[in-house]
Amino acid sequence: MTALLPAFSVLIAVIATAVPWGLPADATFILPLLVVMMVFCWRAIPGTELHPAAAAALGLLADLLSGGPLGFWALMCLIAATVGAKPGSFRERRDLWIQWPIWTALVSVLGLFGWFLASLYYLRWIDWWPIVFGVVTAILLFPVVLYGLLWVRSGQIGHSRRTIFRSAS
Amino acid sequence: MELLSFALYFLCAVLLVLSRIGHSTLTDARDEIVDLSAPFLELASVPAVEARRFVDRVRLNVRVHRNAVDEIDRLTKENEELKQWQWRTQLLERKVAHLRKLLHAAEEPALVYASGRVIADARGPFVRSALVNLGRNDGVRIGYAVINGDGLVGRTVEAGDSVARVLLLNDLNSRIPVLVGPNGARAMALGDNSAELQLDFVEDGATIYAGDEVYTSGSDGVLPRGLRIGAVTGEPGTYKVRPFAELNSLDSVSVLFFDAPAITQTDPDAVADRGGALSALPQREPREDRTASGTSLPLPPVAAMSSPVAGQAQAER
Repeated sequence: MTALLPAFSVLIAVIATAVPWGLPADATFILPLLVVMMVFCWRAIPGTELHPAAAAALGLLADLLSGGPLGFWALMCLIAATVGAKPGSFRERRDLWIQWPIWTALVSVLGLFGWFLASLYYLRWIDWWPIVFGVVTAILLFPVVLYGLLWVRSGQIGHSRRTIFRSAS
Repeated sequence: MELLSFALYFLCAVLLVLSRIGHSTLTDARDEIVDLSAPFLELASVPAVEARRFVDRVRLNVRVHRNAVDEIDRLTKENEELKQWQWRTQLLERKVAHLRKLLHAAEEPALVYASGRVIADARGPFVRSALVNLGRNDGVRIGYAVINGDGLVGRTVEAGDSVARVLLLNDLNSRIPVLVGPNGARAMALGDNSAELQLDFVEDGATIYAGDEVYTSGSDGVLPRGLRIGAVTGEPGTYKVRPFAELNSLDSVSVLFFDAPAITQTDPDAVADRGGALSALPQREPREDRTASGTSLPLPPVAAMSSPVAGQAQAER
């Protein structure tokens, strides 16, 4: 595995976010949240390096391609990178059943924060349904993305829990 | 490390504020970067577009296999209707030409357009926009209307050398003055990031029915008059407009080179480049098979040629 793999995989996800998939209007928030989720996961997996500056730069690229205000997704990625790398902030053994609630809490806060920031940006309450839909989907997809990234990293999922997650020892 | 994190958070906050005030340096830098990324986006969009087409083909095949006879009947009927439309359109074109001649009306300039493909789809809590692979090199300027086969899709809000960003009809910032129904009641179609547009500022005493067609009024001085937008849905008091164009799955679109006096406000470069806002033609010949000249502006819908939804409104009347 090269040191650039996390950044490269998130870059692919950012480009995929901009591609016209033809998703319904309600599903517009899902793909950018997948990018944020990948940042969180790469930061949580030990032995991988995704610098916060790289996470912010990739978020900024997502902002550029989306045509939205610059700094929004950069901020989201930065928050995810900060929370994802906090060793032992909740418990020492951070396996899936610990990571998942952390992600659930984080993405819920990010969704609420994003909705509030967007409303503040336009000085009116924006439609909350696509954000809620995106947040719920991001919560449900978390194990798939996490184990997908583990597979990308090592080519296999069956590691012992001790070696998979940061601060597992 | 903590200092770096703090600096990054601060930078994000500064960028957000600068974006909100629309700082020109930031906008220019963004245009440059989007222009540079266009070839990659175009390449990356190919599998997505092909996958979407494959899904559409599968859906169509399933529908045909399920009910082949009904499908053939439907297509035959549709073909017959289209032939009638063609005949009536030719008749009306002749009538209009005759009446214009009688009135000694000034000739309307031919509308030029360039067709391109959507290479990126940008949707989130802030924007509903799309990137098309047409830019200033193809004659595209800010403020031009963008249509597809179904109707108006949006208008260009950023134009780089090889790509342009289209603000979709349903974006929160989209405000389009429209005419509603056969009587042409004036109103405003407002985007709210949902699938439908709000119909607001309806003129006093206007009678609107669900199913009435909505088209551009051209009174903003930016969009040409008579571009089809959608049909009225909902109840009196809370009318909405369902766009004819499927904004979630745009593929090929055309940019109309319709310059109006207001284009000087939306894109000052247009004046600087070409010495006048009303010079409608692009400076350079657009790329092959992208431009067709001599197409006339789509006319406001004729009540007699009603679509099923318009027929419903007619029945209510």
